[in-house]
Amino acid sequence: MIKKQIIYNLLFVGTLLFGSSLIAQTITGVVSDASGALPGVNVLVKGASIGTSTDFDGKYTIDNVKENAILVFSFLGYNTQEISVNSQTVINVLLTEDAQSLDEVVLVGYSSRKKSTLTGALSVVDVEGLTKARTENVAQALQGQVAGVQVASNSGAPGGNFEVSIRGVGTIGNNTPLYIIDGVPSRDISFLNQSDIKTMSVLKDAAAASIYGARASAGVVLITTKSGAKGKMTLEASYYYGIQNATNLPTMLNADQYMDVTEKAWNNTFTGTNPYTADKGRSDFGDTNWLNELFNPGSSQNLQLTASGGSDKIQYLMSLGYYGEDGIVVYDNDKYQRLNFRTNINAQLTDKFKVGTNLQLTYSIQDKVPSTGESLIRFALLRAPVIPLYKDVNDPTYSVEDPFTDMPFFTPSGYDQGLNRTMYEMVGNPIAQAYFSDDRTTKFQTFGNIYGEYKLLKDLTFRSNVGIDLSFYHDKTFNVNYGDDDEGADGSIDEGLGRRNRPNNLGELRGEAFTFTFSNTLNYLKTFNEKHDFSAMVGTELVSNYESFIGASRARFPYTTDEFRYLDQGELSIDVNNSGNASEYGLFSVFGSTSYVFDNKYMVTANLRADASSRFSENNRWGYFPSVSAGWKISDEDFLNDVKWLSNLKLRASWGQVGNQNIDDYSYLELLRAGDIPGKERFGNPDLKWETSTQKNIGIDVGLLGNKLALTAEYYRKNTTDILLPVGLPGIHGDLAPTIVNAGEVSNNGFEFSVNYRNSDNEFKYGINANLSTLTNNVEKLHPNVPSIVSDKYRTVVGQSLNSYYGYRMIGIYQNQAEIDAYLSAGSGNTQPGDIKFEDVNSDGKISPDFDREFIGSSIPDLIYGLSFNAEYKKFDFSLFVQGVEGVDKYNDGKKIVDYDTRPFNYTTAILGAWDGEGSTNSMPRVAFNDNGSSSVSSLFVEDASYFRLQNIELGYTLNGIKGLQDMRLYISGKNLFTSTDYTGLDPEVSGLVDNGTYPSSTSILFGVNVKF
Amino acid sequence: MKNIFKSILIIFFLTATLVGCTGELDNEPIGKLTENLVDTELAEVTLEALVSSSYQPLNNTLNGVVPGWRWDLGTVFRNDIVLQDIASNDMNKKWNPDGDQPWMDKVSDFSFTSENQAFNGIWVYDYIGINRLNLGIGFLNDEETVQNAGMTEARKNQLLSEAYFLRAYYYFDLVNNFGDVPLLSKSPESFQEALDASLRSPKEEVLAQIALDLTNAKSLASSAKYPDAVEPWRASKGAIIALQAKVALFAEDWSTVLSLITELDDLGYYGLNTEYFDSFDADLEFMDNEVILAYDHQANETPNINNGIRFVIGWGFFAPTNDFMNAFESNDPRLLYTTTGDAGDKRSPKLIGSRTGLIEYGNKVYIRYADVLLWKAEAQNETGDYDGAVAIINQIRERARTSTDVNGIAVPAGTLLDRPSSTDPSVIKGWLMHERRVELGFESQRFNDLKRWGTASTELSSKGFQNHHNLYPIPQIDIDKSGGTITQNPGY
Repeated sequence: MIKKQIIYNLLFVGTLLFGSSLIAQTITGVVSDASGALPGVNVLVKGASIGTSTDFDGKYTIDNVKENAILVFSFLGYNTQEISVNSQTVINVLLTEDAQSLDEVVLVGYSSRKKSTLTGALSVVDVEGLTKARTENVAQALQGQVAGVQVASNSGAPGGNFEVSIRGVGTIGNNTPLYIIDGVPSRDISFLNQSDIKTMSVLKDAAAASIYGARASAGVVLITTKSGAKGKMTLEASYYYGIQNATNLPTMLNADQYMDVTEKAWNNTFTGTNPYTADKGRSDFGDTNWLNELFNPGSSQNLQLTASGGSDKIQYLMSLGYYGEDGIVVYDNDKYQRLNFRTNINAQLTDKFKVGTNLQLTYSIQDKVPSTGESLIRFALLRAPVIPLYKDVNDPTYSVEDPFTDMPFFTPSGYDQGLNRTMYEMVGNPIAQAYFSDDRTTKFQTFGNIYGEYKLLKDLTFRSNVGIDLSFYHDKTFNVNYGDDDEGADGSIDEGLGRRNRPNNLGELRGEAFTFTFSNTLNYLKTFNEKHDFSAMVGTELVSNYESFIGASRARFPYTTDEFRYLDQGELSIDVNNSGNASEYGLFSVFGSTSYVFDNKYMVTANLRADASSRFSENNRWGYFPSVSAGWKISDEDFLNDVKWLSNLKLRASWGQVGNQNIDDYSYLELLRAGDIPGKERFGNPDLKWETSTQKNIGIDVGLLGNKLALTAEYYRKNTTDILLPVGLPGIHGDLAPTIVNAGEVSNNGFEFSVNYRNSDNEFKYGINANLSTLTNNVEKLHPNVPSIVSDKYRTVVGQSLNSYYGYRMIGIYQNQAEIDAYLSAGSGNTQPGDIKFEDVNSDGKISPDFDREFIGSSIPDLIYGLSFNAEYKKFDFSLFVQGVEGVDKYNDGKKIVDYDTRPFNYTTAILGAWDGEGSTNSMPRVAFNDNGSSSVSSLFVEDASYFRLQNIELGYTLNGIKGLQDMRLYISGKNLFTSTDYTGLDPEVSGLVDNGTYPSSTSILFGVNVKF
Repeated sequence: MKNIFKSILIIFFLTATLVGCTGELDNEPIGKLTENLVDTELAEVTLEALVSSSYQPLNNTLNGVVPGWRWDLGTVFRNDIVLQDIASNDMNKKWNPDGDQPWMDKVSDFSFTSENQAFNGIWVYDYIGINRLNLGIGFLNDEETVQNAGMTEARKNQLLSEAYFLRAYYYFDLVNNFGDVPLLSKSPESFQEALDASLRSPKEEVLAQIALDLTNAKSLASSAKYPDAVEPWRASKGAIIALQAKVALFAEDWSTVLSLITELDDLGYYGLNTEYFDSFDADLEFMDNEVILAYDHQANETPNINNGIRFVIGWGFFAPTNDFMNAFESNDPRLLYTTTGDAGDKRSPKLIGSRTGLIEYGNKVYIRYADVLLWKAEAQNETGDYDGAVAIINQIRERARTSTDVNGIAVPAGTLLDRPSSTDPSVIKGWLMHERRVELGFESQRFNDLKRWGTASTELSSKGFQNHHNLYPIPQIDIDKSGGTITQNPGY
């Protein structure tokens, strides 16, 4: 590092004026830097609420300044100066460039670079701003912050996971980015405590990421954690409490409406005596709003204590964090709690030798209710409102332990579950499910590194880093037996038990995962003749992973209270199971990087990494990942010296390759089936090799008005070849698992823009951070025998984006028989008026899957964007964060099963607009118990899932001058308060291609306090 | 500069040693059975299991072959009952129509497409059996493997006989449902070989393979009624001959049908039971005279092999059509054995194996002698032996009327009187068609019968049957997975 001598140069070119009493006076002056006048410099009177900024000629005028006041001159990229007025009325100032801020040092992987000399696409996340997002998961905090990064939650449940994709989806398999936390790799960052994070940068293009070689094709996120500062000891405490509520719930039918609709559905389907008509007004009916019963307000709280400080030789940081969330489902069985401890220490042992550690312990407990797929939310949407929540106490099956209705309309005599059960009772009681849930995952994780750094020569540093990621997890699920006896166990030893979880049982799974990372690097950094900056780095790395688990289960527990929910208490003679297995992988790498910068204007960087992975057979074990990049800082050219408003202009271009080895261990091996039935489990592929992503990137960085306004634009093309594709054989070869082959090719390209504007000219300070990125995804090639990867609702084919929705296109509702006969001239089957009219693509007079299905939606967004706004006025501060995606579709299967199913589930009030005779509607088919066309996958259920969401809004107030405190900040914060979307499902943001009605996201209001001692 | 080289050396030495020591990249896979571990020496139980497990696709156990409640794939249970009984005019999906499992309704009203999971279900079941058999036949024909396993020649021949029979059974089912189908007679060696083998073979080639397999099976079979007394469910010589006769019947090779049935009779094991229900009664399994091939369901076994149809019936599935109920002559006791009816408890005692309850261990009967007798009658009628044909029909009717009804009560006199003698083959065929329908109701024979008689187009036209429905569509999922090398039947 070049350490520039910082020169303070203060010019007093003024005259003493008038008296010396404490009279307010007007001060004028010119602010300039080494090359001339500086416009836009903030001039503030310290401790008062007045201020201004310099005009285009660098001049300023400021009124009402007391003669003993202090003026503060600040400008981004320059050292701030404080000047005592001392009765002067003209104060001219020469600001010096802040070498530190202009040349902010950025971690680029195994080494650091000056930000101004970066040549790849690397986005630094505004970690300060993130603090206000108040998210429990660091991955979520990335949402909307960086152009090209998309984040979506997979469920709104406490402790839910987030999917992060950087520059689209480049592969058909696992697209999880690689996280490097203090030099230690991980695919998950949910265990991190957001308050501990110091820097976070996203390596987007291959030039930035190729130093991580075989694991980097989905992008890399580099994270460093905070450390103590020299000389300053601080103690900070913060706490917030939040209240959450379910949001965006649909309005379901009440009991009367439900009976009317089912009556109509029966009439639209059958002839004869309508059993629903007869049942209207039945005295044992209830009127249950299952959604209201299911949700109640949840809460979240977060406590954080951080102490840091240090001497010249040793710096330390210790932190303790607790996060707890009680979800919005009734009862206490959906919760997430996490406890974090962190110790970071750096010690300068000698002038040349430095050691340090960053170590985190995390303990988390997640209590789950079934929240995706066959979730209790789905059951609450579907269960008929005529069924009461609780049984009548006089019901012979009523018990205090299990008062919930289960199948009240089930006729116990004989085996006739047919009619009475299916008239109303189609799904279980979600409230009972919530009540009886006992499904807990605990996880204990130790994550961190120990490093030593030795200066071999003045310019040459050796660094050795040992990282560990050790986690133990424990899943424990006790399935309580409840519900009515449906006689399904008659004749067996479980005769007479309730139908749910029959018999009761306990399953436990304990596992451990250990990843060891050992990396050694040599860093060389030298400046020759002041103009030639040269750096080089070489290194090796070993990553080794071992995972194992052991599981067991028993059933028929005689006592089922909490203190007996342990394996020993279960029946020992039958249904005793155990399991256990392990897997391991290793990765050995050699890598190097070199860069050359001439005069801070022209820069080139080249990287090369060679990786050997145990996941591939010896035929293809080694993979090589090169990259080159170059930059030209045009703004430093002489011909632009006069252009004052342009503080930075840099062009960048890069090319590189990164890999993906994110497949299961042992994927290349042919496997035989273990157990009762011998045979092949799958065919192997001895030629399996790396998936390679080739990326080109061009970028431009622009800084205006002393970098007050910073713009970055990038364009990239990312082409992934040899995609690791699981290819399943036709069923004629038996039940084989798919074989992984290198087959596909997928391209992604897009533009990314980010804008950063900061104005701290006067007392009202504000900043805007906005980003927007476009994405075009296209499948270029698949396996010759697999021209499409088919799922029932979406498919991947060449020429479309990955996982495009595929089905019939709804073009209306058949209004009458004549319309059916005319349109379906070659056979209408059982189509009736009121059924969905699908487009007959080939116009052959019938609807057939081979010819009439088409692509009906894209699951990949065209556009993602985020915008945050921060402002400060006096002691108030305010922030706002909005985020959204555009041009994306989602298959709303929840809507299908609620409003369009042929079973007597409950409906939303939308069903009241169903087709009811010619001319009534052309958008919603007749309600019926036979197929009205809704059983087909069609565009009816593919909905535009674009959304715009106010993710966060926060208002804070800072109190100074409290005795014993540095300062104290109080705030109120609202999360997810407003969403604009056309999507009719519970949440457009939730990840996944098919929305089955997941745990909804909630809105929350938080109250918090931060105290600095 | 010396220092630099020294430290570079140190680094590479350090890591290289580490890699060398741990052998990190070349560790043996944990818990994975690879080919080279087991290829050469298979235990006898493994060879046994290869054949025994090939019976599994014949069972009615829910998820007994493909786990995971895959209603979407049609693999929860074997779909014969949907493709034969529901598709024909004998059975409705449920007692009270509803939207549950709409794919069955679509088979019923012939509005199905190639994506209907009914077809995938049977396809997957049959081919899972075939694949296990191909592997087993391959190993059993390899002398070294058999020798290493220490298997006796007699046992090997027995297992091979069963394997050839089962493979023929599954292919015959496939040919009847789908026409031309992929013909695989050995396990592919590699992924590519498997892909390349994904082609349909003409029906004639498949039938030739069936004939060859059955010939081989017969030549290796012992002549005992139960080749394995401990496991009487194993396919016997009787089953092999009966299937040969059925193949000939479907090919309308009447003289072969007759000679094969004579061959079957010569074994001396089979005849009609006194009581109609004895063939189905779970208490009389493998103790009767009539059942020739059945899957042996058992309760409380691991892995599970119970009769899962009992649950499906419990959910209100499998109701008779009015047309089917009306087909029974008055007081025919076979009706209530087939379905206890709307007024009763809506069971099918035949499918469950119990007159009174819903038990889990009633066998699934595939071939019984009454069926064989009616084939014989059909062949006799076609070859001009009218008296013989009528005699068999009356033999069947007599057994029915002399059976007690489901409540154990004798049938009133005057029930199911004998058919008079006739020389009009079409009249006799009418009687025969009727008798097959009521005798073999719900036994998954009906749709095939209607197709081969050519009466499906008239009997089922009101349900939407068209001529192309004589062959079901090849499951779309496999056409897609083959990349189109597996082609579709016309009309779909």
